[in-house]
Amino acid sequence: MNTRIEKVDAVIVGAGAAGSAMAAKLSMGGKRVLVLEAGPERGMHNLVSSSIWARRLKWGGEPVIEQGNNPIGHVFNAGFGIGGSALHHYGVWPRLHPEDFNMRSLYDRGLDWPLDYEDLRPYYDQVQTESGIAGDAEQEKWRPPGAPYPMAPVPRLTQGAIIARGFEALGMHTAPLPLAVNTREYKGRAACIWDGWCDAGCPIGALANPLATDLPVAAANGATVTANAMVRRILTDAKGEYATGVEFIGASGEAVTAMADVVILAAFAVQNPRLLLASASEPHPQGLANSSGTVGKFLMNHPAAAVFGLFDEDTQCHLGATGGQIVNQDGYDKMTHKASGAFGSYQWMAAQAVKPTDLLGISTSRPDLFGNDLHAFMQNAIRHFASMTAVIEDLPVADNAVSLSDQHDAYGTPLAQTVHNTHPASQKLWQAALEEGRRVFHAAGATEVWTGPQAGMHLMGGTIMGDDPEDSVCNEFGQTHDIPNLIVAGPGLFPTSAGVNPTFSVLALAARSSEYLLANWNSMVH
Amino acid sequence: MTPRLSRRAFVRHSGVGLLSFCVAGCRLEMSPAEAHRRGIPFQVLSEDEVTTLEAYGETLLPGSAKAGLAHFIDHQLGAPAVDQMLIIKYLGVDPPFASFYSSGLGNLDAAAKARHKSPFALLSADQRIALTGQLAQANPDGWDGPPAPFLYFVLRNDALDVVYGTQAGVESLGLPYMAHIEPPSRWGD
Repeated sequence: MNTRIEKVDAVIVGAGAAGSAMAAKLSMGGKRVLVLEAGPERGMHNLVSSSIWARRLKWGGEPVIEQGNNPIGHVFNAGFGIGGSALHHYGVWPRLHPEDFNMRSLYDRGLDWPLDYEDLRPYYDQVQTESGIAGDAEQEKWRPPGAPYPMAPVPRLTQGAIIARGFEALGMHTAPLPLAVNTREYKGRAACIWDGWCDAGCPIGALANPLATDLPVAAANGATVTANAMVRRILTDAKGEYATGVEFIGASGEAVTAMADVVILAAFAVQNPRLLLASASEPHPQGLANSSGTVGKFLMNHPAAAVFGLFDEDTQCHLGATGGQIVNQDGYDKMTHKASGAFGSYQWMAAQAVKPTDLLGISTSRPDLFGNDLHAFMQNAIRHFASMTAVIEDLPVADNAVSLSDQHDAYGTPLAQTVHNTHPASQKLWQAALEEGRRVFHAAGATEVWTGPQAGMHLMGGTIMGDDPEDSVCNEFGQTHDIPNLIVAGPGLFPTSAGVNPTFSVLALAARSSEYLLANWNSMVH
Repeated sequence: MTPRLSRRAFVRHSGVGLLSFCVAGCRLEMSPAEAHRRGIPFQVLSEDEVTTLEAYGETLLPGSAKAGLAHFIDHQLGAPAVDQMLIIKYLGVDPPFASFYSSGLGNLDAAAKARHKSPFALLSADQRIALTGQLAQANPDGWDGPPAPFLYFVLRNDALDVVYGTQAGVESLGLPYMAHIEPPSRWGD
């Protein structure tokens, strides 16, 4: 039996960063909003300070079948439950650079965005004021124009000072890492106490996760957020010209239809394409919004370049923020390592607060050690360890894609399958960054330096924006080219990945899209 | 919405992470280490699997058997997929994970028998260390379970979880745990 619930103005699929931001903006604009989240209810009280318990925040929905030489790591990178992956994100919020928006035009590589930095700049400023970012705009000599940060930068603790001296010895520059983490009480949210639990979720609201920022605003303006609601299909009118709502499976397994004037997909870079493809109908045999055949394509995932070291000093590596303390973007020029065949931008995030265990913990940096050697390493490294990670631009490749598997979930919806192979030029950039990182750590005085294997972080693409409906899924506001009241939000819109963390840009795009939707509501709605 | 917590609004539970075990029809809460000490029956793992698992765990990280490695894994294997906290969930293996552990431990024993005519748990310490070092690098002949280096990686991390991933484990390294919210008194609810 299919239950039908009261029609709303907008139904949003996914309660992560993008969905929560859209819910806040649209409800503030007077719209009746329903947010459907596949995962469970989450509150601040669920954000347990434990490397083991933190795993509950990661994806726990239907399996994603992963292939390629650098699989996307969907469970680790995606979230599950109210707040989505933003609940366990580290709050590293740099801006994209102007050249990131015009890569095809400037370098004949990758794709162009359908908007420029200047189009997004006011929304970066708006979001940083609303959510709060700590940083030092003057010290970030690479930073594009924009309003100064509203909070003083994160402190440079011992690990940060040690690594900074390595950069400086090589003539490189460092600045405080721009973090959406409070260095003072900000808009009623507490200041951080630098205990390194970001990955487990920040229950005091010092880190700008959706439970602390957008979801309270959405709730205050009447938005309804429903957990354990797994959307399985987007509904349209008979001609397939307009979206009419979604069908979801509720907490007790019942099918429910939610009708809405506008449907917004904010279920991240894998589940959004899955839903579009799984909603194929007679008017849209290739899937919704897929007349270009682009849905699912250009899936991207930053290759992470991890550098580790041991120092004679007590590094106090357990203190600070998980994202790090300092930033270096000297390698942001996409041609920096051209001679090696590399292409693209990268950014170092250095002096990350670490825990003893888990995938990003001290112990996993040396997977070769076991037995008493492992105990000895842990006893030593806990006092003398340091780390930094480079975000490596992942060049967009059409064949890196989300598609539907021939396997289905319990309700008959095909599972998502992904292919991701790192582009050769991105691979070379990853290698070049690792070599640079080794030099930095040696220059800083490390007694031992080693690097980690390539791992992916930050899922992007799959529903890319573009000017041309022939080769993109959405326009610059996330509106699908084919169906005017079907909107996509989140990093899936990115046509290129840039060399910085995506969440700040996701929120700026969501703010810009929300403003557009509110101003053009009547023209979109059937 | 859940009200915001004030700064360091600590929830002081018992703190060390207790598991909920079924004993003679009753649910009892105890730590993995206590469950190990009391010999609480296993729900998913077989007796042979537990023996092999604890022997391999002791080789990977001495002290892990006493810290309750087998009870931790057994408890998690019985939990719903959405509540899983084993590190394997990150590593491209779809739940349920019982077959991974069963196949991996079975192959580990088979490899020990092929090389030394004895199950892994009965090998000498030197034999265990040598075989573990080899399995960390490549599958031995005849291995048909999950890749041996992958099994090594997963079980090594499981052992690390129970030894250094808990509040007591972190503090054993001389670090303050500094929890905002300590792990609840039960792991699997």
